Order: sequence, then C-alpha cells, then structure tokens
Amino acid sequence: MKYIAWQMLTGDRAKYLGLIFAIAFSTFLMSHQVSIFCGLMNRTASQIDDVHDANIWVMDSKTQYLDEVKALTDQDLYRIRGVEGVQWAVPLFKGTSRAKAQDGKFRGVILMGLDDASLVGLPRSVRLGDPQHLRDPETIAIDETGYRFFFPGEPYALGRTLDLNDHTLKIVAIIDSSAPFVNLPVVYTKYTQARDLVGRERNQLSFVLAQAAPGVTDAEVTRRITERTGLKAMTGNAFGWETIWYYIKNTGIPINFGITVVIALVVGTVVAGQTFYLFTVENLKQFGALKAIGVSDWRIVGMILMQAVIVGAVGYGLGIAMTAGFFAATADNLDLRGFRMLPEIMLGTAGAVFLIVFLASAVSVRRVIVLEPAVVFRG
Amino acid sequence: MLVRYGMPVLAMLALAFAVISTNRATPKVVHAEPPSPPPVAAYANQLGAVGLVEAASENIAVSLPVPGLVTRVAVKAGDSVQAGQLLFSLDDRDLRAELALRESAVALAQSKLAKLEASPRPEEIPPAQSRIDEAKAQLEDAALQLRLMESVKDRRAIKEEDLLRRRRAVESAAARVRQAESNMKLLLAGTWKPDLEVARAELRQAQAQVARIQTDLERLRVTAPISGKILQCKVRPGEYAASGTLAQPLILMGRVDQLHLRADIDEKEAWRFAPGTEASASVRGNSQLKYELTFVRVEPYVVPKKNLTGDATERVDTRVLQAIYALPKGAQLYPGQQMDLSIQAQEEAH
Repeated sequence: MKYIAWQMLTGDRAKYLGLIFAIAFSTFLMSHQVSIFCGLMNRTASQIDDVHDANIWVMDSKTQYLDEVKALTDQDLYRIRGVEGVQWAVPLFKGTSRAKAQDGKFRGVILMGLDDASLVGLPRSVRLGDPQHLRDPETIAIDETGYRFFFPGEPYALGRTLDLNDHTLKIVAIIDSSAPFVNLPVVYTKYTQARDLVGRERNQLSFVLAQAAPGVTDAEVTRRITERTGLKAMTGNAFGWETIWYYIKNTGIPINFGITVVIALVVGTVVAGQTFYLFTVENLKQFGALKAIGVSDWRIVGMILMQAVIVGAVGYGLGIAMTAGFFAATADNLDLRGFRMLPEIMLGTAGAVFLIVFLASAVSVRRVIVLEPAVVFRG
Repeated sequence: MLVRYGMPVLAMLALAFAVISTNRATPKVVHAEPPSPPPVAAYANQLGAVGLVEAASENIAVSLPVPGLVTRVAVKAGDSVQAGQLLFSLDDRDLRAELALRESAVALAQSKLAKLEASPRPEEIPPAQSRIDEAKAQLEDAALQLRLMESVKDRRAIKEEDLLRRRRAVESAAARVRQAESNMKLLLAGTWKPDLEVARAELRQAQAQVARIQTDLERLRVTAPISGKILQCKVRPGEYAASGTLAQPLILMGRVDQLHLRADIDEKEAWRFAPGTEASASVRGNSQLKYELTFVRVEPYVVPKKNLTGDATERVDTRVLQAIYALPKGAQLYPGQQMDLSIQAQEEAH
C-alpha cells in the first residue's frame, strides 16, 4: 500500500515538484522573515547581551528600555553595594557621542564606559589588541563596524586615533560587538573617561552592574535591591526582554513582519492545499479502484497522510536549508551580524509546515471518503 | 528516477546542513569572570561607602593673613617640616622701607630725650656765673657811690636828688644780682620733668611703630603650623598669593605617619551605620589589596556630598555622614586616594 501511495505521489513529476517547491518556498519565507524579525529585535538588547560577567542590571525605577537612560547618583552605587546578597557592584556608562577621524569623517557612536578598576562588561571576543589597555588614559576599544567605517579598506591596526568631544583617543583594541539596533559603531572606554566624552551632565551613572553572592539567587538579590534602594533591578536577560518588548510595542516592525509571516502561511497553505487537492482529485479513480477491491477508508486516509508527510518533509528540508544557506552566506557581513536562524524558528516553522500539509490533506481526504467505488467503472 | 528519489535524499542532506549551520551560528552563552575582580562585599550585612585617604591631622590648607607676591619658596612637595619652619615668604620691600623710616623716628625721639636729659649744658654755667659776678660788681660799685655821698657831713654840699638816685641805683643793682642768681638756679635745675615725660612717650610711640612693622614683616613669612609632610605645594616664586580660603590651597600639609580614611555614607543608609563596627577597605585597581580599618570617630553633622569631579558649578544631590577610620601603619597609600569601603551594618530593627 505504501509503495502504491509513493508511486502515485511521484508518478506525475511536475505535480510532485510543484508540491515540494510550494512547501519549500513558504518554509523559506516564513523562517527567513521570522529570523530577520527576531534578529532585528535581538539587536535592541545587544549591549545587554554583550555583558558576560554580571547578571544583574540596576537602573532608575522608571527606565523602560536600554536606550533611554536616566542617570543614577554616584552614591547609589554604594547603596547597592550595601544590599545584602550583592557580591559586588560596579558602574556602567551607556550613552552616545560623536567620533571624528583625522580626515574629518564623523559618526555617532554608542559609548560604553566600564568601571575603571575591574572593566566589568568588557566584550570577550577581540579581533586585535588587548582590551586591558583600556586602563591607560585616553584610550578606546572600537568594534569592527566602527573601524571599517573610519578606516575603510585598511587592515586592522592599533594605535590609530579618533576624536571624541575634543579628546584624541587611541585605539588599543578592535572588538567584536553584537550589532546595536541602529548599527552604530560601539566604542568602549573607561567609566571616568566616558564621562569626559559626553556633555556636561552632573550625574552620569547610567547603570550599575552587580553580581549575586554565592548561594543567593539573582531573583532574590534584584528583589532586595529594589526594596532597599527603590531602584529598578533586574537580570540582564529580563532587561533584554524588556527592551525587546519596548520595541515590539512601540515600533511598526512587528506588524510589518507579522503581515509577511501571515502571508507566507496563507500563501503556503493555499498553494500547497490547492495543488494537493487537485492531485488527489486527479487520482480519485485510483482511490476508487482501491476502494472497489476492498481497501478500507482508514488505509486510504493513511496513504494520503503519508503522501502529505513526504511532501511536507521534503519541502521543509529544502526550504529551511535555503534559510540556513542565506544566513551562512551572510555570516561575514558586518552589517547583517546578529541575524541568524534560531532553533526555535526551525521547530516552529516545521510545525507550521505540517499544519499546512494536514490542512491540505484534510480537504482531499473528505473527497476520497465520500467517493463511491462505482465511479471507477463509470464513463 | 533521479527526481523521484533524488528529492527526498536532497531534502535530507539540506535538512542536515540547516541543523548543523544553525547550531554553529547559535552563540554559546558563557558567563565570564570580570577582567579584574571588583571589590567584593566583606560582610553579609554591610554598608558600602567611598572613602578618601587623608592625613591623621586632616589635611591642612596653609593660608595667608595678607595677600602678596611670593618671593621665595623654601619647601617642595614631599618635604618633612618642623612646626615653625619657613614655608615661603612674600615680598617685603615696602615694609622694609617703612621700617627704616620708623627706626629713624625712634632715633630722633631718642636723641631728643637725651638732649633734654643732658641739660644743663656745662658751657652755659660760666656765662651765667659771669652775669652774677657782673651784677655783684655793679652792686658794689653802686653801694660805694652811695657811701661816698652819705659820708659828706654837710648836707648842703650835696643835692638831695643825687642822694636818692644813688640809693635807687644800689637797690636796682641788688635786684639784678638776685635776677642773675635765680637765672643761675633755673639753669642748674635742668629740664622740666613734664617735658621729659613727653619726650619719653614720643620715644615709646616710635618704638611701638617699629615693633608693628616688624610684626607685619613677620607675617610675610609663612611657617608650618605643625610638624608634618608637605602634601602639595602649589605656590611658586613670582606668583601672587591670595589670602583666605582658596579652591586650590597654596600648600597642603598634614601629619602622615598615620593615615585616616574619611568614609562618605549616604544619608539614606546612615541609620544602618553603627560606630565601631568592623570595616575594611580595598584599594582601587587592586581589590585584592585590603586593609582592616580601626574606627576613630564619626562627624555628627551630615554634610552635602562633595563630588570629586572638581567642577565648581556642581549642585548637591545628597548628603553624607562622614565616619573617620584609621588605616594600619605602613599601608601603601597616599593622601587623596579613593578607596571602596565595606562597613559592617548594625542588625536591622524589625
């Protein structure tokens, strides 16, 4: 029986390929668009994800997301250090500034100021140089995007300078940072140095990064910090999600991508469903013959489902590989960094594809079940 | 055949590729340790604070009673000085000239007094004596003339008028003798006492003025108020030194054989602070280097927090309680350095 189903499916090469490619392209469209969407949203939390050495972020109680910051007072740092369960706490500056190269080329940059003594928050993937040299006065570490913008086509080299707020700063490291939402270059420097590179604001303590003492959970420490100081404390992960949700709620991006994904789902279902339905209808005679020789309805349903699963699996495999190929091909493009397919998207798309093929086959199954075997002998 | 069986095989390979490449692209979430360990909480229930290292005597910003031009600086930063040792001196030419003037006034008053004290002048006595002698001689002569006339027995031979004139001449000569004698007495009596007193007072006044100029001169030499070390010397010859409290002290000094740590505790945390609890401080840049602290005192007045950015237009954002701790002797620290403190907090009242 299974062999007959397979023969029926692959007998008409054009329909066979048509079905597979309908599924493959809707798989590609869905997984690709969802991946780009997730990548774009993930970018909003890039600077949070790049902090690998502290789990807890403390900020002003009304902070909504990463990019809009109200500074804390310097004394808040010491209050946080006084909270039970906090193993350590260090300041972090996050702001923007404008960098200018010696040839006059300028660009806004995201400025990260790390605690002078410990350099907590330093990105760990370094292309060239030693970020520990950030301890030296008037030095910065810049990400690859920034370096390529300011010194296009030149090999990576240390010791070049950039001007920020009338300070000439030496590049001591080229790092690999996660792409920020607006893809500005990211510049790392010391906390005290960063304060000199932005305007004259009195309080410039953007965030405090803290770590829970051994034996105390992050959740417990964040609760205690909030209780004791009235400041908002959350884990980096939670803060990242909060930032992502801010963008989802406050920008048109999710609607745009949502429409594309729904269209992919609908088009995939309609095209695959219609093709599959026509395929079944054209094979009604064969099904009728099978019924006539006494094959039960359940066996026939099983055959149709098997055909659907094969088409779905092959189409999905090809489609998902197209998406994976796209991201593999663009992996080295700095402007597209951070865009990748999440395993969750792979699984989700698989679910959607099988939903499509089952919907398509369900319609076809009805025709076969209600079929009178006698029809075979007519006409 | 190729299409029939090729597609499923191709799809399998494609799926394998997708799984592998997605897996490879997924970043591994790693938790890294900080490049250098940050200062770690020392006590389960603790207060965090920032501290500034200072001299045990507190840092003394040496100030001036009078502003002036600096002519000489006798010390440099790092020097150890004794109390009273010269630190720097100001331009004193004006006062030196004044002093010369005042000293000449003293000399003048002194000679005036000496002159008064020295009278009578010995040379004046012989002429006065001569005037007495002369008057006496004239008296004797007048008396002789009178006796000659009185010795005439016959009154008619002389005129009554001549006799009277000679008698008057004797009286007048006697008066001149008395006058010469009293003149002599006046001369011998010397200067009148009140005149001497006036002269002495004038001398004392001139001397007092000299002493005042000398004090003023003394004030132009700035000396060390205590024995200690010069922490900072921001005064150079040729510069104008202003008096009063300066943003940048001319000379900062203190006793550094014992260093203290002045901890700023946020007013919102002050209720958790108890004097005398354990405390330790770590050095910035090397949190492994820790010092146990000894409680010295707490300054009971809560002061506005001073930011250390050195900006003059800063506003106060919070107030802080200042507690003073002693650092162990021999600690490798410098006054003015910042440290991160952990202070054991008192049990919370429930």
